[in-house]
Amino acid sequence: MKLKSVTTFHVKGLNQEKWLNELCKEVSLTEIERLSKNETTFKCSYFSYKKVDKFLKKHGVNIVSLTHEGVAYKLRNIFTAYGLMAAIVVCFALSIFSQQYILQYKVEGVDKLAAGDIVEYVSKNFSKQKGNIDTSEIENALLQNFKRISFASCIIKGQTLVINIKEKLLPDEMYGDFAPIVASKNGRVTKINLISGTLKVAVGDFVRMGDVLVEPYTIDASGNIKKVEARAEILAEVYNEGQSEHYETYIEVRRTGKAVVQDEIKLFGLTIYTFKEEMNFKMFETETDEVPLIKNLFLPFKMKKTTYYELCENKIISKFEDVEQQFVSKAKAKALENCEDYAKMKEEFYTLRHLQGMTIVNFCIITEENICK
Amino acid sequence: MFNFLNEVKQGLKNTEIDLNGFNLINLSGRILYVEGHLGLVTLSKELISFKVKKAVIVVEGKDMMLSELSDNTIKICGQIKKVEQI
Repeated sequence: MKLKSVTTFHVKGLNQEKWLNELCKEVSLTEIERLSKNETTFKCSYFSYKKVDKFLKKHGVNIVSLTHEGVAYKLRNIFTAYGLMAAIVVCFALSIFSQQYILQYKVEGVDKLAAGDIVEYVSKNFSKQKGNIDTSEIENALLQNFKRISFASCIIKGQTLVINIKEKLLPDEMYGDFAPIVASKNGRVTKINLISGTLKVAVGDFVRMGDVLVEPYTIDASGNIKKVEARAEILAEVYNEGQSEHYETYIEVRRTGKAVVQDEIKLFGLTIYTFKEEMNFKMFETETDEVPLIKNLFLPFKMKKTTYYELCENKIISKFEDVEQQFVSKAKAKALENCEDYAKMKEEFYTLRHLQGMTIVNFCIITEENICK
Repeated sequence: MFNFLNEVKQGLKNTEIDLNGFNLINLSGRILYVEGHLGLVTLSKELISFKVKKAVIVVEGKDMMLSELSDNTIKICGQIKKVEQI
């Protein structure tokens, strides 16, 4: 960018020497170049271009183009860009306005306490305007409302309120949810390792899912109840069952391989074209698929394709003895689905129940699992 | 202050001659500086002429342009071949 601000005129007109002589008496011109008989370019100071422009118009000279360059022109351009200036002013005003408020809270020194709770409490109960914030008031309120805080200090750093917390030191078992431990599965208790809390079951007890295993309190020698976090590891034999049923006679429905397709073209849910083949199946099932007719089309034409599959029925007769292993495997697979990953298997067995025309296979896998939830 | 043109003028014996009409300085045939012009007569890349007191100066050359034009000075840039007073 040039430091000197100049304006280049490209003009068209007759008698150029005459008006150049007159113009140069008022304004100093530079780099006057005759392009053709009627065309000339010249430069003048940016600060006097309006004078030149007025002079040329007065003398009937046609201005083909006018270009400005230089620092003064650029600066004037910036200062006359009203939108930009307005945006700068608005941003500046908003920035000053926002400086008056707390935009962010930062809690430091929390370990057991949730920082979110402290932020929520402070933001709800105290003003966000910096001028109205009394940090000692916040400190006192925090000490009164959060029993686990032993020391609190607050400072305003820019637009952030920094809350420094020192928590009271309590025994580990004093923290936690204080909820009882319940059985996650049905089973027989085989081993108990109690860490804290009051045990409600003994080894050998049968428990059902949801039964309380450990209560979240202890009773001291004076008979006082003291809340603690219930923690324990309780192992139990869990009976994971799976069942499969075999019928000696059943009807199998299968596709014959014949199919008929029906197409519909839709626009906004309305059918505008249908093509249907003749279909005379006694039994059938259908599959429907709706896809856009053409991609990138403004109108959402859709094609609905319905396929009718012919079905037939077959009566199947099978003896259980022939397929026993197959049904036992099915029942075992179902039983395995109920087992926990990496559960310790202790035993597995299956039982058969013969009813009229059907046999039920019950497969049981006994595993040892931690049933504490 | 030292003025080169005044020093040159002082060298002239005949003091009755008017030397205050115009001054022309040709710098290596590339720049022609004129003081005291009275108006442009012709302007083209090959020929520039202008009026001075009691005469017209014709400048012939190649790729010439008026580098400066003010009320009484002209600066011509380009390849200056001939400067003639008529």
